[in-house]
Amino acid sequence: MKKKPKKKVSVDKQSTLADLLRKHGAQIYDDLDKGNFPKFSIPSRSVSNIVYDKKIRQYILGANTAVRSSRNSSQLRSFTQLMWLAFFANRLTSQKKSSTLRDVYYSSQAFEVDFEDQAESDNIIVDLEAVLASPRESFHVFPEERSSVFGDLTIEYTVPGYQGKKTNLSDHPDGYAIGPSLTTAELIETSAEVVIAVEKGGLFTRFIEEQVDKKFKAIIVDTGGQAPRSTRTLLKRLHDELSLPVVILTDGDVYGEHIAMVIKSGSANAAHLRGLTVPDAKWVGVWATDIEKYKLPTIPMTESDIKRCHDLLKDPRYQEGIWKKELEVFLKIKRKAELEAFSKYGLTNITDKYLPHKLELAKSL
Amino acid sequence: MSSKETFTQISPSEFFYRNRDLAGFSNPTRSLYTAVREFIENSLDACDQKGILPDVHMSIKAVDAEKPDPKQYILSVRDNGPGIESKQVPLAFGTVLYGSKFGLKQARGMFGLGATMAILYGQITTNKPLIVKSSTDGKIQDEYEMLLDIQKNKPVILKHETKEVAKAGLSLSIRLEGDYSKAGSKIRDYVYQTSLITPYATITFDDPKGDRYRYTKVVRTMPPSPTIIRPHPHGIDVETIRRMLLDTHYQIPAVDDNMILKVRKELGLANKNLSYSEIMDKTQKKWKALTRPVRTVMALMSFLKMDFEKLSKTTIEEIDIGNKKLTYWDFGESQSVSVDMDPESFYYKQLASTVQGETLTSFLSKRFQRVGPTTALKFAEFAKFKPEHRIGTMTNQELVKLTDALQSFDDFMAPDPSCLAPLGESPLEKGMQRFFEPDFLAVVQRGASAYSGFPFIIEMGIAYGGKISSRGIKVYRFANRIPLLYDEGSDVVLKVVNDTDWSRYKVKGEPPLVIVSHICSTRIPYKTVGKENVADRPEIERELKLALLSLSRKLSSFMSKRGQAEAAIKRKNLYSKYIPLIAQFCTELAGKKKEPNYKKMITEEPIVEEKT
Repeated sequence: MKKKPKKKVSVDKQSTLADLLRKHGAQIYDDLDKGNFPKFSIPSRSVSNIVYDKKIRQYILGANTAVRSSRNSSQLRSFTQLMWLAFFANRLTSQKKSSTLRDVYYSSQAFEVDFEDQAESDNIIVDLEAVLASPRESFHVFPEERSSVFGDLTIEYTVPGYQGKKTNLSDHPDGYAIGPSLTTAELIETSAEVVIAVEKGGLFTRFIEEQVDKKFKAIIVDTGGQAPRSTRTLLKRLHDELSLPVVILTDGDVYGEHIAMVIKSGSANAAHLRGLTVPDAKWVGVWATDIEKYKLPTIPMTESDIKRCHDLLKDPRYQEGIWKKELEVFLKIKRKAELEAFSKYGLTNITDKYLPHKLELAKSL
Repeated sequence: MSSKETFTQISPSEFFYRNRDLAGFSNPTRSLYTAVREFIENSLDACDQKGILPDVHMSIKAVDAEKPDPKQYILSVRDNGPGIESKQVPLAFGTVLYGSKFGLKQARGMFGLGATMAILYGQITTNKPLIVKSSTDGKIQDEYEMLLDIQKNKPVILKHETKEVAKAGLSLSIRLEGDYSKAGSKIRDYVYQTSLITPYATITFDDPKGDRYRYTKVVRTMPPSPTIIRPHPHGIDVETIRRMLLDTHYQIPAVDDNMILKVRKELGLANKNLSYSEIMDKTQKKWKALTRPVRTVMALMSFLKMDFEKLSKTTIEEIDIGNKKLTYWDFGESQSVSVDMDPESFYYKQLASTVQGETLTSFLSKRFQRVGPTTALKFAEFAKFKPEHRIGTMTNQELVKLTDALQSFDDFMAPDPSCLAPLGESPLEKGMQRFFEPDFLAVVQRGASAYSGFPFIIEMGIAYGGKISSRGIKVYRFANRIPLLYDEGSDVVLKVVNDTDWSRYKVKGEPPLVIVSHICSTRIPYKTVGKENVADRPEIERELKLALLSLSRKLSSFMSKRGQAEAAIKRKNLYSKYIPLIAQFCTELAGKKKEPNYKKMITEEPIVEEKT
C-alpha cells in the first residue's frame, strides 16, 4: 500500500498563484496612481515562438513576448479583459469557487468588459495562463467535459465543506468524475501498481465490470477521447506523487496514437504550460502492428486519417521508436481498428488476453 | 436645283400638331411637366439675354379642383424679363418656328419652339385661348388673347388691350389638360433643381394645393452671357454647309418694291419712268457708283429686258449659271418663264461671280471660327480642292466630299468656347451651400474642351454631410442649366460616378454625399429624344472624370481630417470607459481599499498612442 508523503502541494501552489496575482495587481495599481499606462508582458503564442524542447520532451514557448499596453487604444479592451480575468481568478481562488470556460464568459457580462463571444474570452484565459505560467485549473477554471477514474485510491478533499473528508475511488461502480474537487484533493494512499488510461467510456465500464482494477492492481482512467487537462494533471500526479507507471490504451488509429502522445508530451496549444505531461507514460495499443498480429476486424482509413499521418510524421516527437514505426505501418496498411474490435473473439477477450499481454510488454518498453 | 414637282405642304403648326409626342406632349402627365419646363426656360433665357436677374413666378391651378385627374389646369408663368414688343407678340406665340434664338451659342432651349408647342397643346386639349401680357418699358402693358390657326400657322387675335403697369416683363397663361397628381413630384423636382443651378434667380411656384415653393436668389451676379459665334468645321454637316452656301452665294436680292425703290434712287431715276433701254444706258454710265445688290438687279434686268413697271410684277425663281437660264414667275400671266442668258455679256459675268460665290479659302476663313487664310490653304490641299474653287459651283458630291474633309481635318484649332455660358465656380458653390448646408463643399470648373467640333465645359460640385439627409450618393445632373431628371441609369455622369472607387477617398457605406454636374455645350450629345441623359462621348467622359477626381481628392483630405478627429473622440471614449474598470479590478487584486488616482489620465489631452 503506497502512501504519499504528507505535503500540501496544492495549497502551496494556490498561495503562490495568489501572490502572483496580487503582485500584478499592485504593479498596475501603482502605474495608474502615477498616471502611467500599465502594460502586461505576455509570452508570445504565435507558431513561430513554439519550439520543441527535447530535454523535457514537450513543446514550449520561445523567448518572444508581446506587450499589451493600455495606452494603445486597439489593445485597451483586451488589456481590460485580461485585467478583469485576473481579478475574477483571484475571487475564484480566494473564495474557493470553481468555474468553467463558459461560466467565465457569462460571468464577464456583469462587468461590461465586452467579450464579443466565448472564443474571445477563452483566448484571454489562455493569455492569463501564459502570464501566470499556470493552467487554468490552477485558478479554478475547469473543463466542462468530465472524464472518470476508478480504482483503489483514497483521496482527501480540500474543497470548502469537504475538507478532511476521505473517499476511496473504488466505492462507486460508475467511477468518479474528475472534476474540480477531485483534481484538488490530496492523494492519500493506494494499493494500485499501475494506471491504465483508456480512450473510451464503454471500455472503462467493461474494465470495471471485469474487475481489471483488482486483477491487475490498476487505477482505471477514462480519458473520454483527447484527455482534458484536469485528467492529464491527475495522471501526472498519480505518476509523480504515487510513482505509478501510466499505460495508455487507445483505438488502433492515428488519432488514438496522438491521444497517447498528448498525455505523454502535451500539445502545441499548451506550450505555455508545464506540469501537464507524463513523459514516462507508455502507449501500449492498439498498434497498427496489432491489427495484423491479432487479426482484428478493420475499416479503411479515410483521407483525413492519411493526411493526419503525414502531418504527424513531420512532428519532432514522432521521429523514433514505436511512434514512427506505427505511423508508417498505418500508412502502409491504410486500415484502422477500434478497441471494440476484440469483441470479435468474445466480450472479455480484451481483458483476458490482450491486456495482460500488453501490460507485460509495457514493462520492457 | 429646285424641282417643279409639287408636294402637299403642311404648315409647321400642322406638323407639330401631328407629331406632338416628339416634343414631349404625349400624355397629360408628361405634357403638364413639359409645358412647365418650356415656360420657365423661356423666361430664364429671356432674362439671361438681357442681363436681368430673373424673378419667375409660376402657378398651376385646377379649373375644377373637385374633378379627378387628368383634368384642366391653368398654367401661368410671369417673369421680370424684357417682355416682347407689342407687334411681335402675335407672331412670337401664334406661329410655330418663329423665334429669336437661331444662332450658335449656348441657351436652354434652341429655337423657342417649346413654348409655342405648349400653347398649341393647351389649345388642342381645352380650346381656350392663350393670354399674353407683355410690357417692354415697364409702363404700358399689352394684353392679348389669341388662338393659333393650326392649318395656316397664323395667330388669331381675339382681344387686344393695353393698360398702365409698373413693371416690365412677360406673363403667359394657358389652359391645358394635365395630371398634377402624377406630374407633381416631377415638377417640384424640376423647380428645385432649376433653382439650384440658377442661384441668381428667384423662382416661386404656387401649386394646385395652395402650397408655395420659393427659392430666392443666392447671388446677385449673373454669369457672363455667351457670344454668338460661327460654326467650327468639325461640327458641320452637309445640310448646314448647303444652308451656308445659300445665304452667301445666292445673295440674289428679292426684287420687291423696296428694292426697286433703291435701284431707282441709285440710278437717279426716283421719279422718272424710263424704258428698258434707257434704264440700261443709265446703268452703264453709273455702274461704278452702284452698290452690289443694285448691280445684281441690273444684271438680271439686262436679261429680263423689262422696265420697272414690269419688273415689279415678277419674282426671280432661279438663276442657273450652268445652263445659262434665268427663270422668273410672272404674276400677270401666272406662270414661270425662262430666258437665256448670253455668256458673253458683261452682265452675265457679273451675275456668275455673285452666284458662283467666293473662293473656297475665302469662304472657309470668313464663315468658320478658328480658320485663317493659312489653315484654309492647308485644308484645300488636304481636301484636294483648288483654293480658288468657287463654292457656288460645287456639285452635291463635292459638297459631301468637302463636309467629310472638314470633319476629318485635324489641324483646325479647338472650338471657341466663348459661346458657352458656364455658371461659374462661385455661384455654384454659393447655390450648393444654400441648398445643402453641408460640412464639406468643393466645386470645380474645367477648362473648355471639345467633342466633334462642339465646345463644352464641365462644372462640378461635391457636398458631404451637414444637412444632407439622403443616404447614398445623390447626383444632380444639369445640361445648359437644365436639370436632367429622368433616365439617369444610362447617363455618362452616373457612369463616371459609379466607376469611382469611393473607398479610396475614405467614403464608405451610404454616405450623405451630393454631386452636382453641369455640362455646358452648344450641343449636348443626348442619347435619346427625351433629352434626359447624356451619351458617353470619350472627351466628355474624360473631363467628367478629371473634374470628379479633383473634387474627390479634396473630399478625401477632408474625410481623413474628420476621421482623425472622430478617432480621437472615439479613443477618448475608450479610455474613459476602460481605465476606470482597470482601476477597479487592480484595486481589488492589489488588496487596496481606495482606487488609484487615474482621473488625470482620462481628462488629459491628447493621449499619445503607443504602437507595438
